[in-house]
Amino acid sequence: MHTAEPIEKVEGPSKVTEIRRFRVFRYKRGDAESHYDEFDVPVGPRASVLDALRWIEVHRDPTLAIRHSCFHASCGTCGLRVNGREGLGCVTFVRDLGTTITVEPEANIPILADLVLDMREFYARFPEQHPVMRASEFLPRAVPPDGMDGYERFEDCIECGLCLSACPIAATTDEYVGPAALAAAQRLVEEPRGADTVDILRWADQPDAVWRCHAAFECTEACPAGVYPAERIMDMRGVLVEGGPRRRAPVRTAAHEGGGP
Amino acid sequence: MAVVETRPPRPSRRARERERYQPSVRVWQLLAGSGIVLLVLVSVHMVANHFVVESIGGLRTYEQVLDYIADPLIFTIECFFLLVVTVHALLGLRNVLFDLGLDARARRRVDAGLWLLGIATVAYGFYLVGTLASRA
Amino acid sequence: MNRDGRDLRAERGPVLRKGVGVSPSGWFDPRGRTIGGWAFAVNRITGLGLVFYLYLHLAVLSLLLGGADAWNDFLRIATTSVFLLLDVLLVFGLLYHGLNGVRVALIGTGLVPGRERALFWAGTVIGTIALIAAGLHILGDA
Repeated sequence: MHTAEPIEKVEGPSKVTEIRRFRVFRYKRGDAESHYDEFDVPVGPRASVLDALRWIEVHRDPTLAIRHSCFHASCGTCGLRVNGREGLGCVTFVRDLGTTITVEPEANIPILADLVLDMREFYARFPEQHPVMRASEFLPRAVPPDGMDGYERFEDCIECGLCLSACPIAATTDEYVGPAALAAAQRLVEEPRGADTVDILRWADQPDAVWRCHAAFECTEACPAGVYPAERIMDMRGVLVEGGPRRRAPVRTAAHEGGGP
Repeated sequence: MAVVETRPPRPSRRARERERYQPSVRVWQLLAGSGIVLLVLVSVHMVANHFVVESIGGLRTYEQVLDYIADPLIFTIECFFLLVVTVHALLGLRNVLFDLGLDARARRRVDAGLWLLGIATVAYGFYLVGTLASRA
Repeated sequence: MNRDGRDLRAERGPVLRKGVGVSPSGWFDPRGRTIGGWAFAVNRITGLGLVFYLYLHLAVLSLLLGGADAWNDFLRIATTSVFLLLDVLLVFGLLYHGLNGVRVALIGTGLVPGRERALFWAGTVIGTIALIAAGLHILGDA
């Protein structure tokens, strides 16, 4: 356990109301094996796990490697497993968790250091040569401030990797392309905008693509961005079973329902 | 300058086998379809063998089994049940084994093994049922 | 970043896996699972159990080839309470795997989108009623 200056003298993430113990996964390149470090962190009523990790990095252990960007569930950078469940660190609140909080990196993706992953293997699963990152056609009705022409919103997937971490099949084989890649492919089939749907369906019709899914729906539960990957995988299987794209209602998303991050 | 027409290099035998060996939608349809058919067949089988005869557990004695299997309709249904349940069971087992992250060659071997096991299962089952029916 | 001549940056880092015991058991891990994950894991366990039962059943039925004495000897064991309880366990396995299988077939072909939880609970209600009825019948005369 790390102790430096007494806890009373340092500021917490907001008004400090209690101390919680965090058990954090640690690993650095070249280590023989990983271990867990424990930290007592002062937290307030609105503290998130990310707030706590940043406090640890600043006040207890500057060698703790963490990754974050936007603080509001838009960028997908701070994906973690907290007490075994996938979630974004910035919107996983300490008040909803137990007295000891275990923080680990996402599963099924190689670790660079501590809680930071090498996301290249995640990105490599997406179908090549197809435009998976596209502007959303459901733009929020927001008036941009002076000096900005407008907002551009991308389609829902924020490539956080939580779905791949949650998937029980991805835990057994690295060959499975995973929910994010399949959901992206389904979006291209659902709304092609010039994409080659035949090639995408051929990519999806593989033993390690759409047929490796067993409908556990853990990916949809884990997804913070309203992608509904499991529903999209099932929809694509329906397309393949019926021999081609068909006319039917699109898979519901947060954007369709008027909400969304 | 003469235009030299070139063909792309022919893929290796292994690559061609990989290309040909794609999962068919048919495998999924067979798994789901056999499962739906089994709902009826398993129900019939369980009711007939646990809920008809007045005995502990509804179980049949030797003579009652022979009487049961001698009926041509029952004989046909039970044979069909054996075939469908073997298909469904081994396709399910195939799913579990394929989840182990096997390469294409290992998958082909698993498929060959499951075919053999399936044929042996059905053959033995037909022999068993046929022998009993002949004793009635 | 070199150590002992190894380029550590070039090496693939360790990968955490879910799963109890040795990978590739990742599909079987009750920690951090939601209902869908549980449903899948139990579906797989019942499926494997039923495959085992299929061959066990064929082996047991082979006793019939030995004639009335061999089969009736077996019936004496098969009508004990322990065996009848195993029969109820078998019925549970069949009901669970069958009803969840219908759910997976409907969802997995995209026929019934977005209803996986409702189907799970509907199947649970139907299955519980059927299991209780079957259990009462099987154990009732024991």
